[in-house]
Amino acid sequence: MDFKRINLVYLSISLLLLINFSCKKDPEVEQPNFNKGTLLSNLADNFIITSFNELESDFNSLESSFLSLQSNPNQSNLDDLRDQWRSSYLTWQTVKIFDFGPLRELAFKGGAGTYPTDTNKVNTNITNGNYNLGSVDNADAIGFSALDYLLFRTNALIDIQNNSNYTQYIFDVIEKMKNEFMQVNSQWSTYKSTFIASTGTETTSGFSLLINEYNRDYELAKKAKLGIPLGVQSLGIPLPEYIEARYSGISLVLLKESILALRNVYLGDEGSTTGQGFHDYLIHLERSNLASTIENTFNQILNKIDTFSGTLETEISNNSSELNELYDLIQGQVVNIKTDMTSAFGVLITYQDNDGD
Amino acid sequence: MTRVYKALSPFKETSIAPLIVFRIIFGSLMLFGTIRFIIKGWIEQLYVEPKYFFGYLGFEWIKPFEDDLIYLPFILMVISSIFIIFGFFYRISAFILFICFTYVELLDKSNYLNHYYFICLISLIMVFVPANRNFSIDVKIWPKIKSSLTKSWCINILKFQIAVVYFFAGIAKLNSDWLLHAQPMKTWLQAHHNIPFFGSFMQEEWVAYLFSWAGCIYDLFIVIFLLSTKYRPYAYFTVISFHLLTFYLFPIGVFPWVMIFFTLIFFSSSFHDKILDFFTKKKWREIIQFNNPFSVNKKIVKAFLIIYISIQILVPFRYLLYPGDLFWNEEGFRFSWRVMLMHKEGLATFYLIDPKTGRKSEIDNGNFLTRTQEDQMATQPDMILQYANILKNHYHGKTLHYGDQKFLIEDPEIHAEIFVSLNGRPSQLFVDKKHDLTKFKYNLYHRKWIEPFQE
Repeated sequence: MDFKRINLVYLSISLLLLINFSCKKDPEVEQPNFNKGTLLSNLADNFIITSFNELESDFNSLESSFLSLQSNPNQSNLDDLRDQWRSSYLTWQTVKIFDFGPLRELAFKGGAGTYPTDTNKVNTNITNGNYNLGSVDNADAIGFSALDYLLFRTNALIDIQNNSNYTQYIFDVIEKMKNEFMQVNSQWSTYKSTFIASTGTETTSGFSLLINEYNRDYELAKKAKLGIPLGVQSLGIPLPEYIEARYSGISLVLLKESILALRNVYLGDEGSTTGQGFHDYLIHLERSNLASTIENTFNQILNKIDTFSGTLETEISNNSSELNELYDLIQGQVVNIKTDMTSAFGVLITYQDNDGD
Repeated sequence: MTRVYKALSPFKETSIAPLIVFRIIFGSLMLFGTIRFIIKGWIEQLYVEPKYFFGYLGFEWIKPFEDDLIYLPFILMVISSIFIIFGFFYRISAFILFICFTYVELLDKSNYLNHYYFICLISLIMVFVPANRNFSIDVKIWPKIKSSLTKSWCINILKFQIAVVYFFAGIAKLNSDWLLHAQPMKTWLQAHHNIPFFGSFMQEEWVAYLFSWAGCIYDLFIVIFLLSTKYRPYAYFTVISFHLLTFYLFPIGVFPWVMIFFTLIFFSSSFHDKILDFFTKKKWREIIQFNNPFSVNKKIVKAFLIIYISIQILVPFRYLLYPGDLFWNEEGFRFSWRVMLMHKEGLATFYLIDPKTGRKSEIDNGNFLTRTQEDQMATQPDMILQYANILKNHYHGKTLHYGDQKFLIEDPEIHAEIFVSLNGRPSQLFVDKKHDLTKFKYNLYHRKWIEPFQE
């Protein structure tokens, strides 16, 4: 047969040269140097470790503010505690993006509280004075949202002054978060090297986990912080009982902080420090249109949030069409980050490693 | 044509050694693959956790066994694989393996992989070839079946099946994305820019082109070189290198190993004799040289071979019956060896509309599907329709309570807005929100509700 005369080696070498030659003709456009390892180190150093340390110290301040209030239960100490709660809750908006590694293994995200809080459960626990906050049953009776109820409901101060069970419950909720997070944070220092070295494409790699959790956090913000209370999943009937931090009324502040944190991680820039983020990776991949679309959409969302002056609850009843516009803006970004950005990175959005083909 | 057919002469007597070696390899890989599947916890993930399953058209009645019973097919696969290795009750074992494996694959098309389909076919073929007529416990029990020869079709059909996989995988790569834009290879390779030493090459454009073209040429021509006595050693070396490289770069599990070991079937019978000699420590054919031909109706065998071969050749071309872009519409996409061929990501937002009030709810896909199912569904039109039906059936007749309001949902409309990104292009609209998807039937006709693909 003829093929026996064809020298396979000759064929492949000439092909290789051909392709090599034809591509060398293009003038080499120097791409900005990009490395996933640098991106991961930047996020680890300037976002993860800083925000984790900040949250740990926030929890310490939360504890000491509580102790002052306990020994001296007056309005000004309660206000102090509320402020501490608020600033730790804001820090949490950055921390919760990184739900992998120790944060995931120690299941802290659940420990920070599911909202809405089941106030009946909280009250029953307080009355009984006998509870296990770690039990699954109490998942919606702990964390930031339980504190929102306990510190901001009417008569909170009266109960703090008169009901030692009530005060004890606040303490237990704070201690649980504080202790669990200390553990998370101490494990992160060892996990860091694993994380930044894990630049591969397998679903368990640090980079894939980051992208997956980033998208998940964005979608959760969209759904839980705005969509559900607004009624997008309930035939347009608003569900104010699902509002995050309903008693303090800071839901829109939390939404803004969450989007801001996601934007900063996207850019890789924290405050005045600039670093490599997803934005830089996209530009490196010659997807600068997509990169600027994402950045602009983030800014539009943030500007839109700023137009609301009331709490989420009042805005839902008075201004729901504007909120629906905000929701559409947030929803419109999902395809940019989850579909376009992720496929450009060549990362599989999945939790299951598989036999691909 | 007749000359080729005679050259292949399906009933020529030939050494049974390649078939014996293949049986042992097949059993071992199936044993390894099944145990790996169980250990990785994939039974729970894929067949216990999902609330709904995406059956194949005509096979939607196949449902997973309840509770722990779902482990049964996997346990049977382990046992039958071991029996196949030792040639113990071989035919029954091969049949059970085929049934169990195919049953599992038919449960949910979210898990469809060309290589799983390949295993289904190989295990079907194994039921019909007499791979137990030597080196088996069966010949100890029934010495009369022992034979050192077999009919050549029993070996050639396996070669044919492997050739089909490679050749059609090569044909599928003959498209402009793959050859002219090196996509999705470019996307996949750049993600490896951190691997030691070769990392910087992975971002080079010419490397993506080299990989694309080399992969295409490899798939198209490797079988021809494997068939040639002269070039076979080089070809097999290429097979090993190619699959080890894909194993290193892509998440493709056991399949590189399957292909590396299965292609041994192309080697001569004397090569396989030597493998068996190694186990017996003597020249096995000289000692036990005898033939026990089994009487089969040649006409029936011929008819079956022709039917099987025709199906295998025609099915991958069925996409020609559909208008539009194959990668976009995925009509006639499966069962056609389009292996590692495209990179498709989608975002599907589904809406429930209550026809009575006109009110609309966004669906949280996570309440119905696993992540894998959602990802697969978002880019595959038949699964989109199936999901719309799942939603319709879930909500139909339900009363939804929100606040102090109640809605009795009857014959709800299901709409979806879906965006898809194909091979590194910016995402574009795939399904428009205007369609009530419950109005479309799930069948094999062209789906007009998919938005046309824009280059």
